[in-house]
This record gives sequence, structure tokens and C-alpha cells, in this order.
Amino acid sequence: MEQEWSYLVEEYRAMLYRVAFSNIKNRADAEDAVQEAFLRYMKDEKPIQNKEHEKAWLIRTTIHICLDILKSGWYQRTVPWNESFENTAKNIYLPYQVKDDETLEAVLRLPVHYRNPIYLFYYEDYSIHEIAGILNEKEGTIKTRLRRGREEVKKILTEGRP
Amino acid sequence: MGIQEVQGQSGTPAYQKKRKTGRAEGFQESLLQNLKNRDQEKQTATASETESKQNAADIQTGAKPKAEKMSMGRIGAAQGIRVNAAATQETLQAVEVRHMSYEESDHVRIAVTEGYTLKGKREEGAEPRVYVEAKYEDGRIEAYQVEMAKVQGQTEHVIERFALETMEEA
Repeated sequence: MEQEWSYLVEEYRAMLYRVAFSNIKNRADAEDAVQEAFLRYMKDEKPIQNKEHEKAWLIRTTIHICLDILKSGWYQRTVPWNESFENTAKNIYLPYQVKDDETLEAVLRLPVHYRNPIYLFYYEDYSIHEIAGILNEKEGTIKTRLRRGREEVKKILTEGRP
Repeated sequence: MGIQEVQGQSGTPAYQKKRKTGRAEGFQESLLQNLKNRDQEKQTATASETESKQNAADIQTGAKPKAEKMSMGRIGAAQGIRVNAAATQETLQAVEVRHMSYEESDHVRIAVTEGYTLKGKREEGAEPRVYVEAKYEDGRIEAYQVEMAKVQGQTEHVIERFALETMEEA
């Protein structure tokens, strides 16, 4: 059982951290969110159907935890002192080299309903079908958000505002 | 008095004569035009018949019909990557998609503003080749094998350019 958990943590920890960081933009809070997601997975009694379902469940839960943290009164009253929005792309630790940090910064500044589909599609290489499963949305909705989100990214890059 | 004056003028009034002549001229013109049109239709029919015969012959011999030869390829239709496929068909070959991950790739390009991602991996073998996988915003995934020996250094084709970068990165 312990081996199973350690395998699970090794398999998804880095990716879940990146997803959490893209939402919360704070290293410590992102790590907390990932830990919380693993704890919920262990406590959850719902049978997991397959590996794809397992991964989708973990990503979905991590995103929900991040959104809960962002909505909390404590979080809204405080500002992280050691991290600024300017260096968010550097702290995301992608497993491959991205030459264009500006675009990633722009993606991280998008509203949440555009940010998650765009981040998962382009930076985590998920398919539209998988993203629809993760975010509990229709594939058509994801396609629309990808298209509109791309336009928003262009606006941020050219005009500097979402 | 007035009536007598009118009756005194023999034949058809001048305005009616003019009108009749006009009609006759118009009829002649339209007749000529119809004859011309008929000739043109005949010529077009003969030409299309010849073309369809030629296309049928091409299919039998294995050559592509003219209409297909002139059309844009799948790459040309892709968003952000607009190049005539005919110009690059020798260097690019469409292959089966392997669903390669970013970690497995030698080189990655994420073009969010253009709506596509590219992943490239140098192939092992005697001839230098690069496998390129393209994913588009609408969900399509296409894969190509690029013959590097045929790629020109100054190429502006997106996939060829990316393949060259992959060779440098690998």
C-alpha cells in the first residue's frame, strides 16, 4: 500500500505542483494544495476506474483546492512578500525548455476559466477530450475557451492588459 | 378640324416607326448573342469532356488529377502554418502520430498566440531525419517525417525550420 502511494506521489507530484502554481502563483501554497489533493485522494472511497480517471481526479481536486485557497478571507487579506508576479514563469519548473517566458506570464494572468484549459492544452500537452474530463466541461466549451483565451493572451502581450 | 389634320397624315406615326425599327435591331442583336453563347457552350463542353477523360486516364495510370495537383495540402490548411504543400512534399512526409510527450522530445515549441504546439525528435538511422508532431487548437494532431538532407538552410517553412532547430538541439 505504501509503495502504491509513493508511486502515485512520484508520478504526479511535479505535474500537480505546476497546475497548482499556475492557479495560485505562490510556491508554498502550491505545495500545500498538492499535499491536500493527495490526502483527499487517500481518504476518498470512490473507486478510481483507470489511470486516466485517477490523473483527472487529482488535477481537478488540486484546481478546486487552489480556488478555495484563493477565495479564503485570509488569502484575500494578505500578500506574499517573497514572490512577485514578474517571476512566476521561472517558478513553474516545466520539464522542458520554454524560450518564450512572456507568453507563459501572459497565460498565468488570464482569468481562471481561460487559464486552466490553455495551460493544460499547451504546457501540459493534454488533449481537448482529457481537459473536458478534468474540468467537467463539454469539448465544445473547451475549444471555445482555447480560442478566446488565445485572443486574450494576444491582448495581454500587445496592450499589457487582460 | 383637328381630326381631319390627323387623318390627312398617311401611314404610321413617326414614333411608332422608330419603335418598330428599335425592336428589330434588338432582336437581331439578341439572336447574334444567342448564337455566340451557343458556340461558347459547345467549346466549354468539349474542353471539360477532354479534361475529365484526361483525369480518368491519370487515375488509371496512378498520376494525380489536375485539380488535386493544384490544391493546397493539409499543412497549408493548418492555422498559423500556411505553406503550399506542393513546394515541400519532397522533404515532408505525413506519418502515423506517436503521441510523443514533451519529455521525450528533443525540441518543443509552444505557440499559444498562433494556436499550435510542435514537438521534434531526431531519428536514429543512416540518413538524418526528424520526427515532428504538430497539435492544433482545434484538437487535430499531425505528424511528419522531415528528410533533413533535402531541407535548405534558408527555408521559411515552419516545420522544416523547426526540424532544423531540432537537429541543433539534439
